[in-house]
Amino acid sequence: MSTAALGTPLDQAAVLAALRARVARLEGVGRGARHEDGPVPVCDGLPLPGGGLSRAAVHEVLATAPGCGSAFCAVLLARAGGTVLWIASGGKDEPLAWPPGLARCGLAPADLVLVRAERWPDALWAMEEALRCPAVTGALLAPAWEPDRQARDGGVDLTATRRLQLAAKAGGALGLLLRSDTAGERGHLGPSAAATRWRIAPLPATASADQGADVPRWRLELLRARGGVPGGPWAVAWHEAERRLTLDQEKGAAAGTGDGRRARR
Amino acid sequence: MTGQSGRVPAAPAPRRFLALHLPEFATDRLRRAEPNLPRDRPLATWAQIGSRRLLVAVDGAAAAAGLRSGQALADAQAIAPDLLLRPAMPEQDAEALEALALWGQRYTPLAAADPPDGLLLDVTGCAHLLGGEQVLLRDALARLQRADIAARAAVAGAAATAAALARARLDNPVAVSGIEAVVAAPLPLGPALRLPDTVLADLARLGLRRVGDLLRQPRAPLARRFGPELLDRLDAVAGRRAEPFRSALPPPDLRVARDLMEPIVTRAAIEAALDRLLAALCARLRDAGLGARRVALSAWRVDGAVQEIVVGTGMPSREPAHLGRLFAEKLGWLEPGLGFERMASEAWATDPMPAGRQQGFGLGGTEARDAAREAEALGQLLDRLGQRGLRVRRVAPVASHWPERMVRALDPHASVPPMPPGWAARWPAMPVLLLRRPEPLEAVLMPLPDGLPLRLRWRGEVHRVLHAEGPRRLEPEWWRDRSDLLRRDYHRVELSSGVRLWVYRAGERWLLHGHLP
Repeated sequence: MSTAALGTPLDQAAVLAALRARVARLEGVGRGARHEDGPVPVCDGLPLPGGGLSRAAVHEVLATAPGCGSAFCAVLLARAGGTVLWIASGGKDEPLAWPPGLARCGLAPADLVLVRAERWPDALWAMEEALRCPAVTGALLAPAWEPDRQARDGGVDLTATRRLQLAAKAGGALGLLLRSDTAGERGHLGPSAAATRWRIAPLPATASADQGADVPRWRLELLRARGGVPGGPWAVAWHEAERRLTLDQEKGAAAGTGDGRRARR
Repeated sequence: MTGQSGRVPAAPAPRRFLALHLPEFATDRLRRAEPNLPRDRPLATWAQIGSRRLLVAVDGAAAAAGLRSGQALADAQAIAPDLLLRPAMPEQDAEALEALALWGQRYTPLAAADPPDGLLLDVTGCAHLLGGEQVLLRDALARLQRADIAARAAVAGAAATAAALARARLDNPVAVSGIEAVVAAPLPLGPALRLPDTVLADLARLGLRRVGDLLRQPRAPLARRFGPELLDRLDAVAGRRAEPFRSALPPPDLRVARDLMEPIVTRAAIEAALDRLLAALCARLRDAGLGARRVALSAWRVDGAVQEIVVGTGMPSREPAHLGRLFAEKLGWLEPGLGFERMASEAWATDPMPAGRQQGFGLGGTEARDAAREAEALGQLLDRLGQRGLRVRRVAPVASHWPERMVRALDPHASVPPMPPGWAARWPAMPVLLLRRPEPLEAVLMPLPDGLPLRLRWRGEVHRVLHAEGPRRLEPEWWRDRSDLLRRDYHRVELSSGVRLWVYRAGERWLLHGHLP
């Protein structure tokens, strides 16, 4: 009706794209980092705004198992290309990030700095400092996995994520927040200023013809995306030799029925 | 060549060399390194040469017992059952000899190691300071004897002549310059020319046993038969050819200190003093071709207390402005009280840094400048994290098959060595997280005593095992580990939930060691 009144038919798609770009500029999503590098690719065929994870932003990864979450984050950090800080909170009982395994995900020891903070506020501070540093291209913050410590480390609230988001915007680094998904199950998953929120869970390996049991498979779900549409779950497979995440097309449907946790958050 | 009293006019300023021969240097060094080795037992070092184990160096007691270098180890142990044996460490011997050459600089600025067992000191114009060459020689011998280093010495007008005299004569002679050929003539060939045994045997078959015998031979046939090297040595010993003399260089002094006219208290004054110190230190670093990786600043307070702050850099640096910025963050830690009266800065760790690399900070292209600026920013970040009490580490890959040993923690500013070939690729899958203390699991249902469990109890919950692969057996590194460490059988286990774990079995126990992707 209104378009007809204007007399000239508007190209709705173009208008929407222009508006989206304007909003994105305002929000700082998809803005190139210090280097003119584009966003960090995640997996071929995933509909992501900008084609991947935007640098100069913080992304949240909820993992039901520590192994798949750490591997997924290592893959992303390796793709950011550059010095990476791996900041773990927690005591001596926490599992350690193990460089040989991370190297298999593409993260070479020469690019890796491991940081451990006993106290959660220190870890948050370290993450903020790391994101602010222009020499850091990627930083990961992992709260403790042990359930009794998680309650204390639960301070990943709106304020904290907003601070991290601002730091990442200033420094241009890719920030990842690797959290245990059990917090989400208990309903503790608060609001967050992160650009995207992912959930990752392991899938049983299928010893099919083209990929053996050596190819880990994950169920990946985009729960929230600023400037984009949530999606998934997708079944993806990590091919270590080619350093590639691929979409498991025929298994996609099966992944959705995994355990029925499809509620949007 | 005239008599002993003659001076040869061809040598306008005769050089004088003191040669020190340390016949038992390897064993003397060992006894100094291990002071509680029993003195009354002979000591020798050995090395594996091909398939044989041979003695390399013997001390006086061992030589008296009839042992010599080159002897088979088994023979030596049969001859002297109480023989103490240590593996030969030629690199450490060479290092110790270099250090001893620096000690030689107490007599002259030109002192050099003469490997494997000697020192050469150019004492031209230095001897009179101690009262003559004879006195200098006795003094050096006495000092070495006090240090339990067996030594013989000689002074002559050519370095090789002095070395030959020290090795071949037992009376620590002082020979006049200009008659090197006469002095060397009666010396036996073996010690004087330091020839291999095979060459010596050939020469002996020809009836040539002393330096003089060789000097009388026509040169061309000698060169044809034994190669030019023999003649070179002969000429050097006879004083006909000067050998290059490479004096040992002391390590550069990378410490500068300033005494202040009056105690300083204010931040501005401390910064000014620091700037002057860093400028002087960076000049020394530039002269030495080094870049600092860690720099310490020490400040002496009027009341005697010493305060120290240390900065590290991610990349070697000798730019005063850069180091100054690093220190600026920490200057607040100094508590001047009534004031500092002395300040010093010292480079604790350095890396070689060719000239021109520093251009990135000033004149170089933007890329180099960006890289340098990034390295500086990273260094500052890592310093800040460390100062807050966080554990900041880089990791060095280590070629080991034992999981706990595959990485070694490094200082965050250290450079990471490259990955050894096949370092992380040896296993079909590697965990991304490793448990510092493996967590016990309980095998609930195990059909075969040596097989895999069908169910695992982990943290009180029973999980069905979907897949398992293994075992991959790891034997402990027996050359390093305690003998009671059990071998491990590693399995990759996939639970019904899809969670992949890295578990091992040691003896009867099942343990969780890591999380797989």
